[in-house]
Amino acid sequence: MRSLNRNIAFLASFVFFFSSLVVFAQDSTKNSLNITLSFYNENNKIPYLGVKVKSKIDGKFKQISSIPLALYLDADSTANLIGKVVTDDNGQAVASIPPSLKGKWSPFTKHDFIAVFDGDKKYEATKADVSIVRAKISIDTSSDKKVLATVYELQDTNWVPLKGVDVGFTIRRMDAYLNINETPTFSTDSTGQASADFKRDNIPGDLKGNIVLVAKVDDNDKYGNLTAEKIVPWGSKFVAENNFDKRTLFATRNKAPIWLLILAYSIALSVWGTLLILIVNLIKIKKLGIQQSSTH
Amino acid sequence: MENSYSASEEKIIQDLFPQKFNRKGILWVIGLSLVCLIGLFAYYRQLRYGLVVTAMRDYASWGIYISNFVFFVAISLVGSLITAVFRLAHVEWSTPLTRISEMIAVAAILFASIIIIVDMGSPERFYNLFLYGRVQSPIIWDVIVISTYFVISILLLYYPLLPDIKILLQFKEKNGSRLNKFYSFIGSFWKGTKEQNRLSRNALHVLSVTIIPVAFCIHTVTSWLFATTYRPGWDSTNFGAYFISGAFLVGAGSVIVAMYILRNAYSLEHYITRGHFEKMGRIVVLLALLYLYFNVNEYLVPAFKMKKSEDAHLTGLFAGEFAPLFWFAILVGMILPILILIFRRGRRPLPAFIAGIMVVIGAWFKRYLIVTPTLLHPFLPMHNVPENYRHYFPTWEEWSIAIASLAGCMLVITILCRIFPIVPIQETLTEHHHQAILTEQNHEIAK
Repeated sequence: MRSLNRNIAFLASFVFFFSSLVVFAQDSTKNSLNITLSFYNENNKIPYLGVKVKSKIDGKFKQISSIPLALYLDADSTANLIGKVVTDDNGQAVASIPPSLKGKWSPFTKHDFIAVFDGDKKYEATKADVSIVRAKISIDTSSDKKVLATVYELQDTNWVPLKGVDVGFTIRRMDAYLNINETPTFSTDSTGQASADFKRDNIPGDLKGNIVLVAKVDDNDKYGNLTAEKIVPWGSKFVAENNFDKRTLFATRNKAPIWLLILAYSIALSVWGTLLILIVNLIKIKKLGIQQSSTH
Repeated sequence: MENSYSASEEKIIQDLFPQKFNRKGILWVIGLSLVCLIGLFAYYRQLRYGLVVTAMRDYASWGIYISNFVFFVAISLVGSLITAVFRLAHVEWSTPLTRISEMIAVAAILFASIIIIVDMGSPERFYNLFLYGRVQSPIIWDVIVISTYFVISILLLYYPLLPDIKILLQFKEKNGSRLNKFYSFIGSFWKGTKEQNRLSRNALHVLSVTIIPVAFCIHTVTSWLFATTYRPGWDSTNFGAYFISGAFLVGAGSVIVAMYILRNAYSLEHYITRGHFEKMGRIVVLLALLYLYFNVNEYLVPAFKMKKSEDAHLTGLFAGEFAPLFWFAILVGMILPILILIFRRGRRPLPAFIAGIMVVIGAWFKRYLIVTPTLLHPFLPMHNVPENYRHYFPTWEEWSIAIASLAGCMLVITILCRIFPIVPIQETLTEHHHQAILTEQNHEIAK
């Protein structure tokens, strides 16, 4: 009996040891995710939410793709669902705040955004949130090429000017924003205003010389990302150089360079001329044969 | 019909007269026809469902069709080597090989034209190439030069055939009525008069001179289809010469293969002698060494520098995905044939035939290695593409069509060998006549 008990105890400890190994093995393969939420209000249109998902793998942070996330406004309930997104190859996703949540968005000056990941075979379930206070930015210009921006915060039902917010004044280019002068940001005064002088006089604009000025508040802890845009004719007019009607190697066939046409056609004509002579030669040989037959 | 030939001449004519297929020949033709039919079915599927039935995608947009095209163009170059270069250099031993090489050239260039149309997604729009093609484009140069080379090859086959047609028509009872009609249609006007001979001789001389630059052009332009595109492996100033040397090699190799098969099938041992294998073997060694030299230039110099942009492509060839094929092509297509043919024993018919087969097979894979690995290693990295875009392995439709084109080429050569004398009869008779006169003169001198 004693030995049986010893055997059972041994077996039980053996099973416990291996089952714990299995449990640890499952845990050790799962990584934790780092979810970052950012709020965007671009040009005072429909605000949207940006999500970035990373994970520390082999000591380095890597962007994680194909992570399904549920995004909520203020509370993680179905009624507050902003949307469900899946991260792309760069570990990013965006979702606009839907019109159905207008009733929950408009009455309040402060909101929480919540991202929920339910977990999968590779990553642990994760939740992240961010709080923002509703704010907006406006942009204006004066005739002496000065750009003005005013930042407001929503307090109760009023938009109140904000002091001490860093505003960047930029021009929107193809892939990035270019500062309008050497100073990267300007702080707002007690009237909520900041201003900067436009010093990019010869910057290329569109066909009419129009450029897009953008006043930005970037990654503000309290207000998120705010931008406002204005089109002004302060750039130089873009004159496209058009080779369409000129003779080039990449033009249409009747616009090929003259030297190439002469060279190509003269080679082709001389070779095909020779071949034509040889075909005529065959006809001559045939005629000679027919003549020979008729004389015999 | 009057037959004024001596007994020995009668023997030559009898030996070289086109023969009906025996049982093996019939099976060979049926086999090739079946392969062609399967290829036609695969092409029907490609026409119906589009190029999506192939494994070609955004990156590997040129697959085994284009490899086959380059291979056919390369083989066709043999017509200019054996017929024109040897004729102008007065290499008399090449006479029995001229017809074979011209038949190979005509069949190969015909299928080069066909396979390039197969590669087009919408072949019904082919005519637009002529209506709107840009003379600046190497593709248009290729169209011009291939059609030119095709006509020259046909003429170079046709002119020396005329005296033989006359002989064939003198033995009407040996030909079927259809063949007699065909011979009459293409050459009954040849009477062998002095003037006809003069015109024909001059024409052949002009053709021999003309075909050499055109042959060089056809392969140079084909190489420029690649070299004028800025890509790893193609961005080379050496490509024209590299392609031409490779083309001469595969052409000479294919002639040895054809020589051996036709010699055995039609008992032509007295005409295609061991001496021919000996000489062609030496030529293949020379050409293989030349091609090897160009390969060293093409791969060793970029590998020495190992530019970042070419690294993946070269590593893929030397030690990666394409390494087995690459080393197979180098070893089997060049080094082993050199090692076999460099020795006198290796230049006997059977070993030479084996070396010839190696050269041809190695050359086919070499063309594949020139075309596809480069496309799979673009300068700009591949992003956000399905996994199958990163690799290329032909589908059964592509294999069927490519193999059918090779079978079709062999079928055309087989049919030409059935219709026309494989060894030029008239030229052999003339050489025999000259030989007899020389022997007689030697006897008289000895007396």
